[in-house]
Amino acid sequence: MKAIIFIISTVIVFYLMSLIHKRYSYPYLLPILTSTIILIAALLMLDIPYGDYMEGGKYIQHLLGPAVVSLAYPLYNQRHLVVKYKYTIISGIFIAMISGLISIFLMLVLFKLDDSYILTALPKSLTTPVAMQVSETINGIPPLTAVLVMIAGFAGALFGPFVYKIGKITSPISRGISMGSASHGVGISKLKDFGEEDLSIGSLSMGLSAVVGAVLCPIFVLIFF
Amino acid sequence: MIGNLGEPIALCMRIIRTIVQILILYIFYYMGVFIVEMTNLPLPPSIVGLLLLVGCLQLKWIKVEYIQDGAGFLIGFMTLFFIPPMLGIIDYPELLSIKGTILISAVFISTLFTIFFTGIISQKIGMKEMARKEKGERGEDAFESNHLHH
Repeated sequence: MKAIIFIISTVIVFYLMSLIHKRYSYPYLLPILTSTIILIAALLMLDIPYGDYMEGGKYIQHLLGPAVVSLAYPLYNQRHLVVKYKYTIISGIFIAMISGLISIFLMLVLFKLDDSYILTALPKSLTTPVAMQVSETINGIPPLTAVLVMIAGFAGALFGPFVYKIGKITSPISRGISMGSASHGVGISKLKDFGEEDLSIGSLSMGLSAVVGAVLCPIFVLIFF
Repeated sequence: MIGNLGEPIALCMRIIRTIVQILILYIFYYMGVFIVEMTNLPLPPSIVGLLLLVGCLQLKWIKVEYIQDGAGFLIGFMTLFFIPPMLGIIDYPELLSIKGTILISAVFISTLFTIFFTGIISQKIGMKEMARKEKGERGEDAFESNHLHH
C-alpha cells in the first residue's frame, strides 16, 4: 500500500515539475532537479528512510533498463550524420572521453580523494541513466554520480559558450561534439541558441559517447585501479 | 471523418502497441543482463542490450516500426525513471563537506577543459575531412544529400 503511494506521488511530482519546465524552460527548473529537491524535502520532513521509499521506487527505477536500451532508436535514426562526418565525430568522441577521464582522475588523485569517490566521478560526462549504471558497474556510488553528472551538464550549459569564444570554436560540428560528449542533455539544450545542426550533432554525440564511455570507463578502471 | 468510436479504438490500439513494444525492449534488456552474467563483462547490461538492438536494426532483423512507439515513450519519461535512484543521495550527506566541494569543482573544471580541448581538436579534424570531401567526392554529394532527406 505504502509502495503504491510512493509510486503515485513520485509520478505526480515529476508530472507537475515537467509542466513547469515546459512553461519556463530555465536549466535550474529541469524536472530532475526540482523533483529531486521536492521529494528529498518530503522524505526528510516525513522522516521516511530511503529504503522504505524504494519499496515503491524500485518499480519506477526498473524501467530505466529498457529505457536505456531505447536510446538505440535515436542513435539508429541519426546514422546518416555519422556517415557524413565519420572521422570527425568518432575521433572527437574518443578525444572527449579520454580527456575527460584523465583530467578528472588526475585532479582527484592530486587532492588524495578515496578511490570510491574517484570511481563515482569517472562517468560524469555520460547521460544520467547510463552514468548511474556505469557507476554501479565500476563500484562507484550511483546517486552521487547522478549529482556530478548534473554538475557537468550545468558547467557546459552555463560556460560552454564562453569556452567556444576563447577557443575560437566556431564550427557546428565541433560545438556539437564537444558539448554532447562532455555535458550531455543539459549542455546540448544550450546549443539551441547556435542552431539546428549544433543540436542534432550534439544529441548524436551524447548517444554515441554514452555507448563509448560505458565501454571505456570500465577499461580505464581495469588499467588504473 | 472517422465515426465516434474511431478515436477511442485508435487510442487503445496505440496503447497496446506501445506496451507490446516496451516488452520487446525488455527482451533486449534481459538479453543484455544474460550476456553480462554469462561473460562477466564489466558493462552495464542496458548498454549491451542497446548494442544488440542497434545491431538488429542495422541488419534489418527488426523493423524500426516494431520499437519506435515504445522507445519514444520510454525516452520521453526517462527522467522519471532515474528519480528514485537519484534520491539515494539522501544517504550521502558528505556531498556538503570539503570532499564534496572538491568533487564538484573538479567535475566543473574537467568538463570545461574537455569541451575546450575536444572543440579545438575536432574543429581541426573536421576542416580536414570537409576539405577532402570537397576535393574527392563532388560527384557523390548529390547522392548523399538525397539520402539525407528521404
